[in-house]
Amino acid sequence: MIGVKNIDELFHAIPQNLLIKRPELDDGLSEYEGLKNMHALADKNRFSELDNYLGAGAYEHHVPAIVDAIIAKSEFLTSYTPYQPEISQGYLQCFFEFQSALVALTGLDVANASVYDGASACAEGLLMALRAQKNKKRVLISQALNPHYREVIHQYLLPQKIVIDDLSMTENEFKEVAAILIQLPNFYGEMEDVTSLIAAAKARDVLVIIANNPLSCALYQAPSELGADIAVGDLQPFGISMQFGGPYAGYIACKKSLVRQIPGRLIGQTVDDKGKIGYVLTLQAREQHIRREKATSNICTNQALVALAALVTLSYYGKKGLPALALTNFQRASYLKERLCQINGITPYSDKPHFNEFTLLFDRPVEPIVEALYAENIAAGVPVKKINGLIIAVTETKSQEQLDSYVSKMREIFS
Amino acid sequence: MSSLFAQSEPGKKSYSLPKDREVFKAFIPDQGKLRQSPLPLPETSELEIMRHLSHLAARNVGIDTTFIPLGSCTMKYNPRCNEQAARIKGFAQTHPLAKSSTVQGNLQLMFELEKKLCQISGMYAGTLQPNAGAQGEFVGVQMINAYHKQSKDHKRTVMLIPDNAHGTNPATAHMCGLTVVTIKSCPNGDLNMDDLKKHLNDNIAGLMLTNPNTLGLFSSNIVEVAQLVHKAGGLLYYDGANLNPLMEIVRPGDMGFDVMHMNLHKTFSTPHGGGGPGSGPVFCNKRLEPFLPVPRVEKRENCYELITDKPWSIGRIASFHGNFGVYLRAYLYIILHGFKGLRKVAERAVIHANYLKSSLSKYFKVPYPQFCMHEFVLQADRFIDQGVRAQDIAKRLLDYGMHAPTIYFPLIVKECMLIEPTETESKKTLDQFVEAISCIVQEIEKDPDFVKKAPYKTAVSRLDEVRAAKQPVFSYFDEAYQSL
Repeated sequence: MIGVKNIDELFHAIPQNLLIKRPELDDGLSEYEGLKNMHALADKNRFSELDNYLGAGAYEHHVPAIVDAIIAKSEFLTSYTPYQPEISQGYLQCFFEFQSALVALTGLDVANASVYDGASACAEGLLMALRAQKNKKRVLISQALNPHYREVIHQYLLPQKIVIDDLSMTENEFKEVAAILIQLPNFYGEMEDVTSLIAAAKARDVLVIIANNPLSCALYQAPSELGADIAVGDLQPFGISMQFGGPYAGYIACKKSLVRQIPGRLIGQTVDDKGKIGYVLTLQAREQHIRREKATSNICTNQALVALAALVTLSYYGKKGLPALALTNFQRASYLKERLCQINGITPYSDKPHFNEFTLLFDRPVEPIVEALYAENIAAGVPVKKINGLIIAVTETKSQEQLDSYVSKMREIFS
Repeated sequence: MSSLFAQSEPGKKSYSLPKDREVFKAFIPDQGKLRQSPLPLPETSELEIMRHLSHLAARNVGIDTTFIPLGSCTMKYNPRCNEQAARIKGFAQTHPLAKSSTVQGNLQLMFELEKKLCQISGMYAGTLQPNAGAQGEFVGVQMINAYHKQSKDHKRTVMLIPDNAHGTNPATAHMCGLTVVTIKSCPNGDLNMDDLKKHLNDNIAGLMLTNPNTLGLFSSNIVEVAQLVHKAGGLLYYDGANLNPLMEIVRPGDMGFDVMHMNLHKTFSTPHGGGGPGSGPVFCNKRLEPFLPVPRVEKRENCYELITDKPWSIGRIASFHGNFGVYLRAYLYIILHGFKGLRKVAERAVIHANYLKSSLSKYFKVPYPQFCMHEFVLQADRFIDQGVRAQDIAKRLLDYGMHAPTIYFPLIVKECMLIEPTETESKKTLDQFVEAISCIVQEIEKDPDFVKKAPYKTAVSRLDEVRAAKQPVFSYFDEAYQSL
């Protein structure tokens, strides 16, 4: 049929000297052996046995059982980007509802169907603000931004010859500034007061980007209430297990006036030729497969399945449950913070309000404290060397007994 | 279908929370900072969510239900043991900032996966960090930029890209601050060597190339291309989207490429998930190794460590370590196949593509008649006079229970259909696809208008994309949102 005598003829275009020798050995494992291998590797990880208080961009939340049941469905798991909308209405409507859920949460007008992670959401959010502001080539970034996010922002913005300067919480000179980026709560867990800063930026036509833990805005002011033009963040707190850093999903939401600058997939409602309501990928003229080097971003594959997990989680908690979850997180964090701060030698990093994460300072080096607590099966927090501090995250997964045990172990170290 | 938001009724709930103790209730958040605006998320029972999303799933197709011959997308079967592995608690419950000694299994897996992928690519070192192919491209081009910068070769600001390249290539080069210059293809589909030579000068940062290219053709000139670009002081980037037919046959490193990405969600069977998560690890040769992103995973005596102290590194590209959950799946896929099995994958992918190409050649023009690798193009302009275009044939295929191929890409072929059947499909499925095409051709001959209005059997018929762009409705809360 194909017209060849042997397989080698099909590879005739490959220069002979490049062909590699047919492998003699290693014909693979059985499924049983392979999985056993994976379990053996997983068993070398001790972390899941610990009481975990690490945060700084990834949080241990309960993943509702329904999340896994939905994202394991074949029609979602094994599908491709919905380029053929007639047979992809299921996913397209999911993305549309995902966009709607993010609009509900942020209070802004539009959200895209996800980007890679929190870091790339920050970078892409800044790039879209820069496109909207055309001739301004400078951005100001909060000094209390997650340092990993800052590094990725540098990675994305420096090739465009953008000047990145530090944002002051009190006084800024906004010359040539396209946008400011504020993290709320910030890297140290603080809910800074940003009202006058945002007012000053807006008075100078500077776009305001808020990077948040999206769960926090079920309790605290939404980006729209704060006056943000763009909101970005990582959706990991919404039903996505920590899995050593990914896959997570970033989100970008914005005011309607900025929608043509938004990167990545965007789903819109429309009708078919019989007037039936349907959903399509829209404003594709922004994207790389149409515009090539003139596209708003090179992003192609995004984090679709992870965005679906976030949608399921947002639906599961819903209107009442999400604020309740956020409040639970806040209260358990407050409980631990208050009790730890009663120990002589431990002080809070600041007295600003927090959400589910806070930073403590110590009268002795932080590293040995963290080590000692690891030995007690407690992952105590993320140490920050330059301030000799510890960022501690508390979620709904920590019981009063666990929190009390943390406090007593810490007390022993300090006694 | 009705929106989940529309199904919301006050008082309904799905969620439960751990019991609220009195000691916790004492803590009241700062009243001045509380959210004042409503939070209009739905209120529903868990069954309602499940049923809604199950109905939506039924309005979607995946590899498990449907043949998806999308060219350049490598829609192979996603083995379910991958999913099982990714859900093992010891992996899933690890925090990315955990102390290295508590996540040795994760680090060992990353280290070994890097080694295996180095072997497959013929490269010296790599990083798994990029979240998808396009981000891998970004990392690779940033490394090329960093290399020239370190060599104080500051005028290298041009990236050469063939006219049949993936759209991400020029978009990436642009994001990396480079000017894109397009290199033409020859009538036989290969890179036009004269056009290439014309553009080689000391302004070029490099050349981005896919081999086999997006026409499914392996470029025999590759060694010469590499020599020419290197002689001009440029570097070669390999877009690994089309790696599937080359595994254990030929390696990009041996062809002369300096840096490349792979798509774990294509070649290594991790599910596409409706457009992600992907994973786009980057590999390079020795001279680019210092520029790889940090952190790097290294083996020290008896343990694995994350190393950030690399003075020439371009720095970080992801929040943490990239899509670790995807690495688990790719790693298992590789150990289950072994290198022998991977070669079989490549061979079968190529046999399937050539079989399908040869079977379809009686219905449509095959602009590049030579043997293809894992994919091939058809020129579906045979009925253009009757007004039937590639788009119409694609839509009619949906009625036959098949996903359409990639259409109108690459841009250099008229009414292009790019078809990639992958190694996991059976001969029977390929024959059914040919049969469907044959039926559609007969339908067009009989009544072209019938095919022009396809599809008929899908949840919706052709959608008004112009309206979606002109009168945009992006959420349930938009004024123009239409309920049923």
